[in-house]
Amino acid sequence: MLTLSDLAKYPFLPEAAEEVKRLDFSIESLLQPDYAPILHRAEERIVEALTKSPPEVSYDPRRHNENVEVLSFPAAIILVSAVASDYVKKRFALAEARRAYNLLKVEDEEKIVEIAKRFGWRIRLAGISLGLEKFDFALHFVDYLRNASSFHEKGWKLVNRLVIRGEVYLSKQDVARLLQEEIRRYIESKIDPKMRSILPEEIVERANSIRKGYAENIREEPFNIESLFSSGVESDFLPPCMKELYGALLAGRHLPHIGRFTITAFLLNIGMDPNLIIDLFRKSADFNERMTRYQIEHIAGQRGSGTKYVPPKCDTLQTHGLCPGMDDLCKRVRHPLTYYLRKKKRRAG
Amino acid sequence: MSEPNNISFIREMFSDFYSKNADKIEPPKSIENREFGFSLFKENVMVRHKSFARIEDLRDFIKKNVPSNVYYSSAYYSFPEAKMDEKGWLGSDLFFDIDADHIPTKCNKMHDSWACKSCNFEGRGKAPEKCPNCGGESFDERTWPCEVCLEAARVETIKLIDILLEDFGLSADEIKCSFSGHRGYHVGVESDIVLELDALSRKEIVDYITGTGIDAVFHGLDEIRSGSSKIIVGPSLDDPGWRGRAARGTYDFLLRASASELKSLGIKKNVVMELVEKRDAILESWRRGGPWNTVRGLGIKGWGKIIQRGASLQSANIDTVVTVDIHRLIRLPGTLHGKTGLLKISFPVSRVEEFDPQKEAIAFKAGEVKVYVEEAPELRFGDEIFGPFKSQAVTLPTQVAIFLLCKGAARVVD
Ligand SMILES: [Zn+2]
Ligand SMILES: [Zn+2]
Repeated sequence: MLTLSDLAKYPFLPEAAEEVKRLDFSIESLLQPDYAPILHRAEERIVEALTKSPPEVSYDPRRHNENVEVLSFPAAIILVSAVASDYVKKRFALAEARRAYNLLKVEDEEKIVEIAKRFGWRIRLAGISLGLEKFDFALHFVDYLRNASSFHEKGWKLVNRLVIRGEVYLSKQDVARLLQEEIRRYIESKIDPKMRSILPEEIVERANSIRKGYAENIREEPFNIESLFSSGVESDFLPPCMKELYGALLAGRHLPHIGRFTITAFLLNIGMDPNLIIDLFRKSADFNERMTRYQIEHIAGQRGSGTKYVPPKCDTLQTHGLCPGMDDLCKRVRHPLTYYLRKKKRRAG
Repeated sequence: MSEPNNISFIREMFSDFYSKNADKIEPPKSIENREFGFSLFKENVMVRHKSFARIEDLRDFIKKNVPSNVYYSSAYYSFPEAKMDEKGWLGSDLFFDIDADHIPTKCNKMHDSWACKSCNFEGRGKAPEKCPNCGGESFDERTWPCEVCLEAARVETIKLIDILLEDFGLSADEIKCSFSGHRGYHVGVESDIVLELDALSRKEIVDYITGTGIDAVFHGLDEIRSGSSKIIVGPSLDDPGWRGRAARGTYDFLLRASASELKSLGIKKNVVMELVEKRDAILESWRRGGPWNTVRGLGIKGWGKIIQRGASLQSANIDTVVTVDIHRLIRLPGTLHGKTGLLKISFPVSRVEEFDPQKEAIAFKAGEVKVYVEEAPELRFGDEIFGPFKSQAVTLPTQVAIFLLCKGAARVVD
């Protein structure tokens, strides 16, 4: 059974939506003076997402009223939808998911199972030990992969997990982290910029003032394929792996460390300006200009040892899951740079 | 490849086969959602984006058009006949390809050959990246399904099936096995469980099966301090999952490893000496806690390397690209392989140890054909051995003749 205090902690659960319905709460009611604390907390959730680093919405049961916590979540979803920014959407979903992660880490096991099942997870309490390790949960491998396949730390690779008869054995911490990912995607899917057109004007106004008030926290530098051309790089010559990574950067999708390293080293090696590469990274939700600049200059050999790095060879890219499949030319080269140079030469010749 | 009159002969034989054996053509699950592809003898072109509502329609199409190869998509689509990005992907079977081409055997040097397409320079074994004579990069390759290579593919298939059953918890009737019709095996999982796995998830499954990226520290290898001394702990032989597999692989490796093999892992000379000298004691130690503290100077890093090497003996060597591709076309069971004239034939998982591809994939069981053979190694069909042949005319059972004709190693003699 989930209590009101559970719903305050996990306001994205279907039971919370029912509670919202039961209280006869609607978009219009947000504008009534009685509901001011809810709208206020909704705005606060978004502001926390935009300003805290790493992005994270706070929750303190002593400070936050449980009803307000439940109702301000759908209100924040409406406001974020009205802001209509891909960056804000991603950042908000991540910040809310991290809030849930912090609470789940210390939640009791049965409750975690109950919450996970709301997302259709095939999960159960396992409580087994092997060697020195204890495994509290067993999760169906498909549910594991849906969430873990985008994590790139070695320990998250399926091959480095205990897998028995279709189930992956996990600690509480692991399950909380996987749920964070499921929750993040779920929240993103609930935010719909198209909603903006049907919202009351006052709500859109509130959204606009967030957009203005935190403009410098919202990083949406338009970067498109033309600027790649103007930098002298021809996207036609990119091998499939680099096209993929490049597209991911443009879309602001999360890239693992190795993916960032690979595309950066590749673009530097084909002569792209480091400043343009920094712009490429602006779209990602956890962009930090100083860190990004430092890393890019490091790879370019302008810092540290002075070694200029080259991207990994095809073999290594395959191992890390960065090879989306080979085309005809790929089959004849072993390194993505060779691919680019061949295509360039072919065009020239 | 083959000369025009060879091709028309092969086509005639294929036509005859399909007219009598169309019922052998197996319908994939939900045939109406699959894309079909065919290569044709005449134009040597690929016809794609076909679909069939019923297996009878597909069988009629094959009887009428006599394709040299028949493929179906591992994917299910809303509109299988539409263009690729308009098909509406609904999901895909989980599919594995084990091919001798990807398994290093000692015999490929003896029976396989290649020729440079631009200068005709020839060599044995697997084709190089570049022609040593002219630097060309495309080759005609001729590979042969030999007993040893097929057996190597079977061993990998057995390892794969074990992982699918034990680790992934699939049941034997969810797993479909078949002989590819050439040099390997296909293993498919047609279960709702795996349908919607995306390419990234499939890549993780591939890495699991091939042991790619495995690190022993996630499988029980650890160092514990007790007082002033350190104790290393590690996986046990009967542990489940990769943990036990890594331990068993390590056992096998240490049973046979030579000093030079150990050295190539980057292990110090004196430690290598001790590993070799203490072999019996090390193997004995698995009964109680494992060998982790039996070798002086061998720490957690060194053991990590040894376990990794051991794990590689337990992994299954599959074609990694095939499994990750969620739009792949796959040869249809019950049809003929255009490069061999052999049948792609399914068999139950329980028969994987005894299945005899060189007997059970024979499609043409009657008659004889006289052919002139350029060159071919020794070959077994059923219980008989044929060849080796070199520039000679010979009368052979129909299947053997068709096989050599399909391979482009022979021509029909009137
Ligand atoms: Zn050549
Ligand atoms: Zn062989």
